[in-house]
Amino acid sequence: MRAVIFCAALAALGMATPLAAAEVSIPVLVPITGFLSLEGTSQRNGAMLAIRNAPAGLNVRADVADTGTAPDVAVNALERALGRDAPTAIVASMLGTQVLAMLPIALEHKVPLLTVSGTASVTEKGNPYVFRFFPGDAITKVAHVRYAAEILKAKRLALIAQTTEYGQSGRAAIEAIAAKLGLEIVYEESVDVQLRDLSPVLGKVRAAKPDVLLLHLHAGPTALAIRQAAAMNLDIPIVAGSALHQPTTAALLEPAELRGVCAETNASPVSGGSPEMERFLQQYREQFKSEPDGYALGQYDGVMMALQAAAQGAATPAALTAALSSGTYRGLAMTYKSDGKGNMAHSAIIVCYDGRSRVPTVAKRYDDIDGVLAR
Amino acid sequence: MLQVLANGLALAAAYALVALGFVLVANAANAVNFAQGDLVMAGGFVAVALSRLWPVPGIVLLPAVLAVMAVLGLALSAIAYFPLRGRPATAIFVSTIAVGLMLENGANAIFGAEPQAGPPLLPGAAIALGPVSLSRQSIAVIVTAAVLILALEFLFARLRFGWRLRATAQDREMAASIGIDVTWMIAFSFALGAALGGAAGLLLANSFFVTPTDGINYMLKAYIAVVIGGWGSIRGAVAGALLIALFEVVYPSLPLLVPALPVSWLFTETTATIILYGVVLAVLLLRPRGLFGEAVLRRA
Repeated sequence: MRAVIFCAALAALGMATPLAAAEVSIPVLVPITGFLSLEGTSQRNGAMLAIRNAPAGLNVRADVADTGTAPDVAVNALERALGRDAPTAIVASMLGTQVLAMLPIALEHKVPLLTVSGTASVTEKGNPYVFRFFPGDAITKVAHVRYAAEILKAKRLALIAQTTEYGQSGRAAIEAIAAKLGLEIVYEESVDVQLRDLSPVLGKVRAAKPDVLLLHLHAGPTALAIRQAAAMNLDIPIVAGSALHQPTTAALLEPAELRGVCAETNASPVSGGSPEMERFLQQYREQFKSEPDGYALGQYDGVMMALQAAAQGAATPAALTAALSSGTYRGLAMTYKSDGKGNMAHSAIIVCYDGRSRVPTVAKRYDDIDGVLAR
Repeated sequence: MLQVLANGLALAAAYALVALGFVLVANAANAVNFAQGDLVMAGGFVAVALSRLWPVPGIVLLPAVLAVMAVLGLALSAIAYFPLRGRPATAIFVSTIAVGLMLENGANAIFGAEPQAGPPLLPGAAIALGPVSLSRQSIAVIVTAAVLILALEFLFARLRFGWRLRATAQDREMAASIGIDVTWMIAFSFALGAALGGAAGLLLANSFFVTPTDGINYMLKAYIAVVIGGWGSIRGAVAGALLIALFEVVYPSLPLLVPALPVSWLFTETTATIILYGVVLAVLLLRPRGLFGEAVLRRA
């Protein structure tokens, strides 16, 4: 009798004792200072919000470190994170030159990097430990050019790109896609990120008489170009790169300056569109007192995918890498799946401004551009 | 095309203020103030902050920006110059670099990293001149900068205080021997230099926005203007600034101004920058005193 009571007590104790939570460490190494700090802050916020919403059964540690703008700073931050504890995954800077510098170390330590860098070469090094949750140039630039061709009926394009790695990889992608679609680039120029007066470039664009002007610039120069184009009455439809969709970029411009301007991006959280997106928007605004952009959402989705996989048992770097490489995840922005090289995002949207507000509407969605999801 | 020229002149006017501030400190303290570019950035953010408290045109905020920046300039002299006075010149330019970084990171911490738009000097639509319309902001920048530069000329040419500043810049020991308080003259030069930089920041912040990392770009512009125009020369600084703006705005626009010229890689912003730095090298080699400078003194 006493043995039965003892066993029953043991069983009751087992049921009352909760299962130990799985421990997961995801350091967040992003540019908080420097010219990409706006985007890096979005990355950080998206990652931290995902960690806050981590599935039950996970105990997540996340230390944030600033990678600035130099590759060696990012490398040092990564090495410190790897030396401090055993991270399950790393949220890696979206600055292309920094991610490229971090890749060999991730390979050596076999730790997956979760990034939203748009630079094409990040997933072209044969490194199995990088996972990009933002559509690369091969996806976004297709949407960029196709919108100009299919919706705006453009045959002649003008292109202004940045001289940075980001700008030049986008420029190369646009040139290739335009050639494939039989479009002529009648004028193109690459400009330094510090250039203030873009009116000479815009004047030459006007003289070339394109049907559409494509911009592939960082946030500040994008706003400058659009403002100066409006001041010059350029009167050529503009489709900008993803930098414009950021609420902080649009905030630099008057709504009237944005009239008719469109931009490609992975997602536009401020445009809403679903109850889940509205919930994300509300949480983000409450926690960070700012508006989320596509980088924040992409990073959120990426970290959530990793946390979901960890909650289902993939709580080591090796297991998580395998899960990210083979799994599919339906995020807020889109459905993610690796193409075998670490490109997880295969869709893009075009948003347009009506000239009455700074909140764009989604004008066109391009899903599964490279067919990976359908495989 | 009139707009292109107006844009170039507006940029030249703002750059001239930056360069003038740089020259004032270089003359008075015989030291290179590498924080000058960050002072421009700080001035832009002061304008942004004031416009949030008091949403009025930038021209109304200008006196307040000048005053705040003058105080910042005094603080800069107290932190980065006077404690290191008498040490090698390299100590001072390193200390000003440190102060510049403090300003940059401070601006990032307070305002965030994203670009901010300053208030327009004079809000309103473009000004029509016959068939051409010119940006009101460009014209306002040119006029405001011209007034400040003329005020500076008046100070040095007609006012006793300005004579004392010039005497300090020309020969500190002699100035001290005739009873001029050289320490205050140097401190005032820092204040005036910072005020001019801050004014440039206000002028630039609406059309071109302001971000915490802008400082190095403006510092480079000031340095180039002074190298080309001549160390110690106020007119040289203005001429150097004009040349920089010509390369930034007018040179890439030449195919639009002269239809016979081909629109090619030769007239891009990148090529313009390369040629500008080529001119700088040529000036250093062939006329190291600059176009208007006096005999070269030892500079950091």
